[in-house]
Amino acid sequence: MQAHSEATSYRQSNRAAAQLALWTLAWAASLAAARFGPELWGEQRSVASWAAVGANALVGIAWIVAFARFLRALDDLQRKIMQDALAVTLGVGWVVGFSYFVADAGGLVAYDVNAAAFPALLGVVYVIAFVVGSIRYR
Amino acid sequence: MRNRIAELRTEHSWTQADLAQRVGISRQSINAIETGKFDPSLPVAFRIARLFDLTIEDIFTDDQPPT
Repeated sequence: MQAHSEATSYRQSNRAAAQLALWTLAWAASLAAARFGPELWGEQRSVASWAAVGANALVGIAWIVAFARFLRALDDLQRKIMQDALAVTLGVGWVVGFSYFVADAGGLVAYDVNAAAFPALLGVVYVIAFVVGSIRYR
Repeated sequence: MRNRIAELRTEHSWTQADLAQRVGISRQSINAIETGKFDPSLPVAFRIARLFDLTIEDIFTDDQPPT
């Protein structure tokens, strides 16, 4: 069985959370640079634009690694709450995404929904599921 | 699964936060385990048992009927 230091575990958990927060900010900033950068520097297909997109993808990969480390640093209950929230989010995303796809393919959707609404929906669902899980085990 | 953690914690005059810090898990986890909402993993159960100098069976009782 793995040896465990309580203080170390607590510090690791806090450090993983801080690193995840920093990588989240970095990813949001790199996404904003990739999305709005070309408009600012006035070049639509420049090397800078591709570099911004590449940087966003690389920071995104680092964010995924940070999130996996964060999950591993949590204790059992915190990890369960987090994984339950992720499962609900995945399920809602899957169902809503395919429902929209089918409705759109069938010509039932009168107007195009902004693609940014989908990750926003996932974010809201995740936060609600996380809060519900936290209250359940309070 | 029932357990004697709240009773043992009281005997040692520890708060849930004190016990959580000693075991290396969150206070929320200690509360959920004490109230039976959440069963700890085997490593956590061993750490709790070691902390109170007892065996896991002394602390945790399976309330499921035998099959």
